[in-house]
Amino acid sequence: MRGVSTGRFRGSDLLMLSPWLATLLLFWLFPVAASLVLSFTDYQLLSGQGGFVGFDNFTALFSDQTFVRAVINTLLFTVGTLPFTIAFAILLAIFVNRNLPFKTFFQSVYFFPSIVSLVVVALIYSTLYARGGYIQMILGMLGIPYPAEGFLFSEATALPAIMAMDVWMSTGYYMLLFVAALQSIPQELYDAAALEGAGAWHRLKAITLPHLKPMLLFVLVLNTIKSFQIFVEVFVMTKGGPLNSTMTIVYFVYEEGLHKFNIGYGAAAANILFILIAIIAWMEMKLVQERQA
Amino acid sequence: MDGNEAGAGTAGMIARSQSKARILRLAVAVGIAGVFLAPFVYLLLGSLAKNFNLAGTLDLANYSFTLANYSSLFTQAGLYRPLINSIIVALIVTLGNVLFCTLCGYVLARRRFKGKNLVMLSVVMVLMIPTHVVIIPMYLLTNWLGIFDSYLALILPFLVTPLGVFLMRQYISTLPADMEESARLEGASEWTIVWKIVMPLCKPALAVLSVQVFLVNWNSFIYPFILTSSESMRTLPVALALLQGYQSINIPQLFAASMISALPTTILFIVFSRRITEGIISGALKG
Repeated sequence: MRGVSTGRFRGSDLLMLSPWLATLLLFWLFPVAASLVLSFTDYQLLSGQGGFVGFDNFTALFSDQTFVRAVINTLLFTVGTLPFTIAFAILLAIFVNRNLPFKTFFQSVYFFPSIVSLVVVALIYSTLYARGGYIQMILGMLGIPYPAEGFLFSEATALPAIMAMDVWMSTGYYMLLFVAALQSIPQELYDAAALEGAGAWHRLKAITLPHLKPMLLFVLVLNTIKSFQIFVEVFVMTKGGPLNSTMTIVYFVYEEGLHKFNIGYGAAAANILFILIAIIAWMEMKLVQERQA
Repeated sequence: MDGNEAGAGTAGMIARSQSKARILRLAVAVGIAGVFLAPFVYLLLGSLAKNFNLAGTLDLANYSFTLANYSSLFTQAGLYRPLINSIIVALIVTLGNVLFCTLCGYVLARRRFKGKNLVMLSVVMVLMIPTHVVIIPMYLLTNWLGIFDSYLALILPFLVTPLGVFLMRQYISTLPADMEESARLEGASEWTIVWKIVMPLCKPALAVLSVQVFLVNWNSFIYPFILTSSESMRTLPVALALLQGYQSINIPQLFAASMISALPTTILFIVFSRRITEGIISGALKG
């Protein structure tokens, strides 16, 4: 008898469940609720003063140039990395999965950047992107123009530079998820298609891609939630600069809420991010599901 | 005869072109591996370099090895305490998850009770909450609880993870329950059953879970960063990120510090590569 419940609730069960219940209440539900309440106040941590101000924080945010810039940058970052990360991840997964010799080895190597601390990766890239660094050297050899002051110090290239690093870092992680999805496709489908004389391109379109759809949806949502929360890269590499060109929403929340201690204002910004993520994730689910039907 | 010979000829050609394609594929695979590994080779060489040139690139022409960058980290840059903090926190958090997630997973897998679906739903819903969104209330909460800037702040919130509860519930529900039943008939308490019967059977799932939790916690930055303030409570990633702004630190030193932070994960990765990938894949397929 597999997976059968062996009975009623016992006294000890509540005790066994309590670690999760306590964590849930204290460190998940309470912060979400507190964040919501705080966003309608003008609570200042340093003076300890504040009262309810209705939607004032939200209206103020929309006329705050820095916040608007943060929203635009966060959207740009997400839209500019997602398609590349996912396309590279799928291509790499298909490449690795087609009886490549030493498959497991290569799979692990491609995945390696995503298990190293983001701080470490950001530090390495800071020096690679720096003035006179290796990336300038390579571009110089290829005759491609680059900002002399270094990629992270130019308004035009700072955000794209962080985006490129992010694609490089997360491709291997999502590749692994797509490899898992590829392995669940029955081989008979390919055999049958090969018998009917279907070419590689047709097999890809008719079998592989449709079977990847559920995983694609999952990766899309997961990657969206992650991309919208970009913070560490910005903190280590640019601190939001130059001239707010890499200011993101979470960095804004950190600066307002935990640096200047405008708790209510920062919480309001965080809640806008929350709503933004929920809407986009929901839209992605709808989009992929409709395509499937 | 003719047909056979022709067949053998084509087979040979196919085999030859297949081995050619194989070599080509291998070459491409190595090339891609280079793209992913080059920055880490640069990191390793940089951390062992006697000097960088002024521009901040590795001076390969005059490269010479030294371990001084590593030793000075502990004497000059004070990386000793963050290293110890990271080890303590990651180990306790991992241990806590192994213990508590098994207990919760066991109850959720084996019992029928009112509100069970609600608890299951809470686990799945919480998995979807973007964690960076609640940094402000988490900061306030640790202040109110009086645990701000202490080990408790670094440990308590992460002791039970929703992913762990989820994985353990899924795993335990695939295990047969008859051994638990017979132990119960012999008068064993529920705690003994979990400790003596369920835990040992869960070893594969627990291995996946612990590697996963350890890695995430070891690399975690934002929460250790906002939940502590004093130098002595910093974890390695936090110390590393703050070292960068520090005037006296030079790049080889920074790289050596990065290597120390990346080393445990790399070793874990080499030893448990399959468990890590399994953990991610099972988390993805079930989540």
